Amino acid sequence: MKKTIILCLAVCLFMVGAGLGQAKKPSDLKFPPLKYEPPDPQDFRVVLADGLRAYVQEDHSLPLVNVSAITNFGSLYVPKGKQGLDGVLSDVLIKGGTKTREGTAIEERIDFLGGTLSFNVGERTSTLALSVLTKDLDEGLALFFDVLMNPEFREQPLALAKARLIERLRQANDQPSMVLSREYETLLYGEHPLTFQPTRKTYEAITAADLKDIHSRYFSPKNTFIAAAGDFAKADLQARINQVAANWTGSEVQPDTSSKDFPKPEPGVYFIQKKINQGYISLGHLGLEDTNPDYYAVQVMNFILGGGSFSSRITTKVRSDEGLSYNQGSRFSYRWGFPGTLSGYVQTKSSTVGYAISLILAEFDRIRKQPVSDAEMDTAVNYYLESFADNFQMPIMAMSNFANLEMVGKPMDYYKTYRDNIRAVTKARVQEVANRYIHPDQLAIMIVGDFDPCNKGGAQWAGPLEKLGRVHMIPLRDPMTGEVK
Amino acid sequence: MKRLLSFAIRVPVLAALVTIVSVSMIPANGLRLDVKEHTLSNGLKILMVQKPGVPRVVCHIYFKVGSINEKPGITGLAHLHEHMMFKGTEMMGVTDFKADSAIDKKIDALIGQIYREKYWKADGGDKTKLDQWQKEYDELVKSEKKYIIKDDLWTLYMKNGGTALNASTGNENTGYYVTLPANKVELQMLLESDRMLNAYFREFYSEKDVVMEERRLSENRPGYLFGEQVDAAFYTASPYHWDVIGWMDDLRKVTKADLIEFHNKYYVPNNAVAIYVGEFDPQKIILMAEKYFGRVPKGPDIEPIRTYVPAQGCEKRMYGEGPAPTSLQMRFHAPPDGHPDGPALAILADALGTGGGMGGPGGPRGGFRGGARDTGRLSKVLVRDKQMAVSASASSRGQWYVGAFQINATPRIDKKVQPEDLEKEIWVEIDKIKKEGVTADEIQKAKNRSEAMFIRSLASTMGLASRLGRAELNRGWRSVETDLEDLRKTTNDDIKRVAAKYLVKDNSLIAIYRRQMEF
Repeated sequence: MKKTIILCLAVCLFMVGAGLGQAKKPSDLKFPPLKYEPPDPQDFRVVLADGLRAYVQEDHSLPLVNVSAITNFGSLYVPKGKQGLDGVLSDVLIKGGTKTREGTAIEERIDFLGGTLSFNVGERTSTLALSVLTKDLDEGLALFFDVLMNPEFREQPLALAKARLIERLRQANDQPSMVLSREYETLLYGEHPLTFQPTRKTYEAITAADLKDIHSRYFSPKNTFIAAAGDFAKADLQARINQVAANWTGSEVQPDTSSKDFPKPEPGVYFIQKKINQGYISLGHLGLEDTNPDYYAVQVMNFILGGGSFSSRITTKVRSDEGLSYNQGSRFSYRWGFPGTLSGYVQTKSSTVGYAISLILAEFDRIRKQPVSDAEMDTAVNYYLESFADNFQMPIMAMSNFANLEMVGKPMDYYKTYRDNIRAVTKARVQEVANRYIHPDQLAIMIVGDFDPCNKGGAQWAGPLEKLGRVHMIPLRDPMTGEVK
Repeated sequence: MKRLLSFAIRVPVLAALVTIVSVSMIPANGLRLDVKEHTLSNGLKILMVQKPGVPRVVCHIYFKVGSINEKPGITGLAHLHEHMMFKGTEMMGVTDFKADSAIDKKIDALIGQIYREKYWKADGGDKTKLDQWQKEYDELVKSEKKYIIKDDLWTLYMKNGGTALNASTGNENTGYYVTLPANKVELQMLLESDRMLNAYFREFYSEKDVVMEERRLSENRPGYLFGEQVDAAFYTASPYHWDVIGWMDDLRKVTKADLIEFHNKYYVPNNAVAIYVGEFDPQKIILMAEKYFGRVPKGPDIEPIRTYVPAQGCEKRMYGEGPAPTSLQMRFHAPPDGHPDGPALAILADALGTGGGMGGPGGPRGGFRGGARDTGRLSKVLVRDKQMAVSASASSRGQWYVGAFQINATPRIDKKVQPEDLEKEIWVEIDKIKKEGVTADEIQKAKNRSEAMFIRSLASTMGLASRLGRAELNRGWRSVETDLEDLRKTTNDDIKRVAAKYLVKDNSLIAIYRRQMEF
């Protein structure tokens, strides 16, 4: 009896508390309005000593501080003959020590404090990232700026890094997926700093002097941004950084001078032989830059085509309908200062390679010829609008994003205007950009797999692969020498 | 090894979790987890952690079921089932449930016939009959298509701003993930409770093909097949013997009836936990949970697995060759998660060097990750001083019913070092630790690192949800805190003792792999 009364009370409480009853189907749900405005980069921007620019956010929720230095240096700037310098620099900026500290001492100390200090070199930016508890901030900052400003590239850690990287070259052709993405880019960009590969010889040629030269040319306050978030007072952090980074000098920003002319590969099939039971496939051509005004329409178009995972056409057709693959879709990649690539991609068992390709080609064709549906537009546009706040979930990520915007020279109101730009995309625009950026007559279809079964095909699509265009066999290179055997 | 539903959207948190699972976290300097709990009358546990700031809520639901709940013949079913949970219900994924299910039942009956002919007969069955039935099957599938709304649940989540949308299956548990705008948590409650109640497994047979493709992807990863055999040899008796993906034969032959039985047994509210992390009012979450999850009936209690790891009593050695880097792996059986020896083993692994190895190339064009952790003993001796190895590291991993202490090293081929040479060196280091233990500095470092990692883990909403949700299903979410208190109490004597107890030949499997192909 008592139980029943409590139950009744409880039920009444639910009704009051939750307002409406339980929805039977999703369309019955009425969501309360949610207004969200992104943070304004200007509120976080500061200029520190030596003209060092920074984006800084206080966040006192945990006794933790994250600081990153983002420098405009990457593999793109590595001179020919020194390929792999980016990898070596990655490994020895910390391990090579500084003028006053051994690399091992730095690593040991950070480790003992339970902090992390890591360094990455990407295509055009490098990031040194520190994470320490608030109580260790002074010591952390001292080590961080010492590594950033005064690296010494000592002989023993440098020799060790080179030896380890050369050992790792042996693995360059192990993973079919890595072979595919490397060779696909090489085909589309040709002989270019974007596609140069290190060999034993180029690694061996790298000296401490090379690293010092690169460091003095690129790692300067004018060429670096700081992103910081965590448990500190903004003014206090500024003062501390100004103190440890005082007298950091260095050269002006170095413009990128590499070529923007890329070869147009002959359309057709490019096959790389590997004895495996699936074909790994990428098909496409060069794409666009994300500073292009068509960027937003392309995002929406590609979501519908093959970028929106299970909500996209290629996944529905190739995976869900036909069960041909686990991983498939289309993507437009973007890079700073250069057009990215378009690739339709899939991995499927050898006998269905041709069939899966034919399905992707049909989707390329359909999105160019027919307008997309209202429902597809609705899903794609709403996805971008409704998930927008995710960009600001982690304060350090938001600060890094702002720093990147400014470094790359994108408009600082990028986030502020983002949702309006997405909202402005129409069905007509989607079809227009599909025609502008997908060219079925220019496709390079690259396959890594076992030629005979792939070429033979199966019941739904019988070979040969010639049906898709002229077949070019691409030999694998010996990663140690870079030579074809 | 966790298996994700989708490749395209990654949950990096999960991968990180695997390596640090046993280095438990100490509540640091009074910093405690503020977790609100509520249990529904059907047994479903609700956990909530408020993180105001950005109006998003991480919504995860975990079921206490994984590949260890399978048995020979149905290996891979837990993971296949997780895929099937996206195929709709009576309400989702279908325009006309009645018409669709009528066809679906015909398909099941026909496939039953085909499987009996094909798999029960030693000669593979009558080819003409099978071809005829296959044609009928294709026709039925075609006629069902008009009733199916493809990936309805997934699309609905995306349209409502759902991100980090995925699911994964591990040895012990299965999780379903979405992060939603703060005003749309009710959508998750409706959809998740609906698929607990009314899951309907249409398109089962094409999804089996997808999972077989997923297995092929693994097989094409250099060294995967060897690793699978090493696992099978290490866990001879317990159901950790097979990988989450399952054996190909079982994937081929598993039936819809197997699937339904599995679903009804394990997908009950008393075998699950729902966790919310983000910006919300806990009272509202509880009310909504009562409303939606409250309608799912409680199921019978579930017996834990029966077969644990029997004492090995002999050394095991395995050799393999193929297209992956030459390497040495030394594995020792260790106690499961929560055992009193766990913290000492975790500190020992930290001193030898967790998280070693080289940062790998991050993408197609280099994108190098530097900063491999080279501060462990093995790395100092083998990589830096003797220059015999490219990398050397250790890990201690306590799973729910088993544990493993593992040492990995890759030799310097250019110096003609063999895996066996590294093995000898590592035994020397192990013997040293049995006698002297590790240094006070190494112990303090491991404790500091655990504490800092604990604090850092609180910064990631998804990481937190995953850690607490899974812990809850085994020993309760508070174990995340108490494990750290235990770790703090660990002494050098404990470390000497566990080294002597577990790091012995009769408890070991040594796996040596050599690269065969040149490139």
